[in-house]
Amino acid sequence: MAINLNFSEDQEQLRRTARQLFDKHVTPDVVRKFQDSPEEFPKAVWRQMAELGWLAMPFTEAHGGLELGFLDMYPLYLELGRSLAPVPHLESVVLAGGLISALGSEAQKDALIPAIAEGRAIVTPAIIEPDGTYGADGVRLAARQSGSGYALTGVKILVAYAGAADQLLVAARTSGAGESGVSLFLVDPKAAGVSLDRTPNASGLPLYALTLQDAPGELLGPAGEAWPTLNAVMLKGAVLQAAMVAGAGERILEMSVDYANTRVQFGVQIGKHQAVQYLCTDIAIHGHNTGLLALNAAWRIDAGEPFARQAAFAKAAASKAIATMTWAAHEVHAGVGFMLDFDLQLYTLRGKHWEFNLGDHRYSLEQAAAEA
Amino acid sequence: MIDFRIDDTPELKAWRAEVRQFLETELPGGMHFDYDFEEDGERWAAYLRFWRKVGEKGWVAATWPTEYYGQGRSAIENYILQEEFSRHAAPTYPIIGQAVAAALLRHGTHEQRLRHLKGIAEVTTLWGEGYTEPQAGSDLASLTTRAHLDGDHWVINGQKTLGTAAHLAQWMFVLARTDPNAKAHSGISAFLVPLDAPGISMTPLHNMADGQQNQTFFDNVRVPVDCLVGTPHQAWSEVWFGRGGEALDRAGPAPVGWVFRIERTLNLIRRFVAENSRGGVPLTEDPVVRMQLAELEMSVEIIRLQIAEAYSNFASRRMRAGSSPIFSGNIHWAYYKELIPRFTQTCMEIVGPAAQIQGGPWAHLEGRIEKAFRASFGNHAGGTPQLKRMTLATRGLGLPR
Repeated sequence: MAINLNFSEDQEQLRRTARQLFDKHVTPDVVRKFQDSPEEFPKAVWRQMAELGWLAMPFTEAHGGLELGFLDMYPLYLELGRSLAPVPHLESVVLAGGLISALGSEAQKDALIPAIAEGRAIVTPAIIEPDGTYGADGVRLAARQSGSGYALTGVKILVAYAGAADQLLVAARTSGAGESGVSLFLVDPKAAGVSLDRTPNASGLPLYALTLQDAPGELLGPAGEAWPTLNAVMLKGAVLQAAMVAGAGERILEMSVDYANTRVQFGVQIGKHQAVQYLCTDIAIHGHNTGLLALNAAWRIDAGEPFARQAAFAKAAASKAIATMTWAAHEVHAGVGFMLDFDLQLYTLRGKHWEFNLGDHRYSLEQAAAEA
Repeated sequence: MIDFRIDDTPELKAWRAEVRQFLETELPGGMHFDYDFEEDGERWAAYLRFWRKVGEKGWVAATWPTEYYGQGRSAIENYILQEEFSRHAAPTYPIIGQAVAAALLRHGTHEQRLRHLKGIAEVTTLWGEGYTEPQAGSDLASLTTRAHLDGDHWVINGQKTLGTAAHLAQWMFVLARTDPNAKAHSGISAFLVPLDAPGISMTPLHNMADGQQNQTFFDNVRVPVDCLVGTPHQAWSEVWFGRGGEALDRAGPAPVGWVFRIERTLNLIRRFVAENSRGGVPLTEDPVVRMQLAELEMSVEIIRLQIAEAYSNFASRRMRAGSSPIFSGNIHWAYYKELIPRFTQTCMEIVGPAAQIQGGPWAHLEGRIEKAFRASFGNHAGGTPQLKRMTLATRGLGLPR
């Protein structure tokens, strides 16, 4: 039937299951515990996610996958956002898994996809370089042919969960400039010439600077032709990143409405003041619109429709939304929200990672403009 | 099961093709006309000629039941109809006849429906709006126009204001206080009032976007008792809240044709960007203009999705989690109403200094962006954005009133 924005029963069930799991095992205190923690991420939760099949969702049956779509992952991502679960699903399953599935040789897929799907291996992408340029122009890390393989030299930043990764998936330049000449390489983090340094950052997520000095890389897909696939997979990931923002937005809204309804100043609940009502409705509007854009883009991906423009809109809105929602929530909560033992700051600081991950507001809008 | 497709059956595809064919024949090139922003008599005549042709097709009454001049079409067919009208830059239905029809179909008597729906369906009778008063705008429930029963007639006294194009209407849908002792919201009734009734006078108000609104004065205006719609004193809950997409009615949610107006402006500015250069650089390559245009495109995409959500809620007869009509409906109205003036401001910035020229050889797009800018301050009609925010905050989010 035409126009239906309701989840299927399976999708509703997945959301309920994820809510229960994360409510129990990824409380705000767990999120705090893993900030700047050498443990990287909660392995027990990751194992449960693997047992529930959530790490196998997008993969083919031949590789142990469930062949589910982005609409099926959407409810999971609402809950990943709401709970702030610090787990590498987007990095390992959606981005690295998506790229290996699309570009890998049969041997590479056989070696990595089942391992990712079962939670035995973490693969994490390394895309952004120190000057922070998004897009193909930003990929400058040099890969040169060396014997039968490649040697990579340069620096990547913001490589998430790299300390726990079995393989790094590095975007590098084998030739040319712009979209032509971008290649992807699997790099063993333990190989000679590879060094990882954990970077102090706003959210406390395990984000690393990766320095490569003639490090050995194993080509994934044809040399110099990776950009269109890399771009498409990042846009798909951006849709799920936007879903995380929408899910977090629901929680930020609940916190703010609860506080505005209970905090009394000048003899009235502060939520009676229109200035405070405007802040709360800002949160509702930004979060809801982001969710609609992301849902539409996820549907387009699954339906086989062109999705780049809609995905870029979703991420542009999400980047703006997470910054605006957390700002507005801080205005509502004032001094209380500024304290570390209150949960709001966890969203504000994680939000900075989400805002810039896979394209900021400006870059995403430019992507949409290019697709017009 | 999530699906954003609109016409996913051969029947719906054929329906879209039929509407498109009609518009390509009857309105080639579209008609940039908004009834609330136009006083020119010849353009009004052309506009009404077009809508009477739509009426002859039966499409004004597309969703009405067949026993009352309607075609019994679905909300989705209505959506397709309105979307095609928007894509072909067709003007929206005149004034508030559709809202009167919706009220009559929900709460009117058989006789009232027979008497009034035909003229609305055929666009031979125009209806003016008799809600707003000088001291009752956003706080409509404080209205003071009153009606008292005198034998088999109601006698109306008071003043209505901002009645868009009411001077061209034959009838007015009037809210008046019938129970002076009741609380603000519960003593109001709705009346069908012929504007040629003795005791009615009108003075014009001219708005800044070339439209005429009106003050309408009621001095002992007598209307028969069968001019009252629905239950006496219950107009607030029955009629008013049936109007804006806050209630689900058989014709579908919110008058989306009105919302699609913004697409017309978007299409104009797309054309401007595609066809113009500044300083020798095509605007399509100007990084600031690209950002501005992408923002405009995104905002229209958001509105389309909000409308899709309203239709989904309506069609599936259930609400999405976190998407009651009060919540998602007011998010839509607050977002849309706040957007319009910002949208046209951005369009003015893109066009640049010549944007202020209204016509003649140096005007861009025949001055339509300038006109859209002026018209954008009509965003209060049907409730200010601030009112929608307040409703969202209190009724949608549960903040204290």
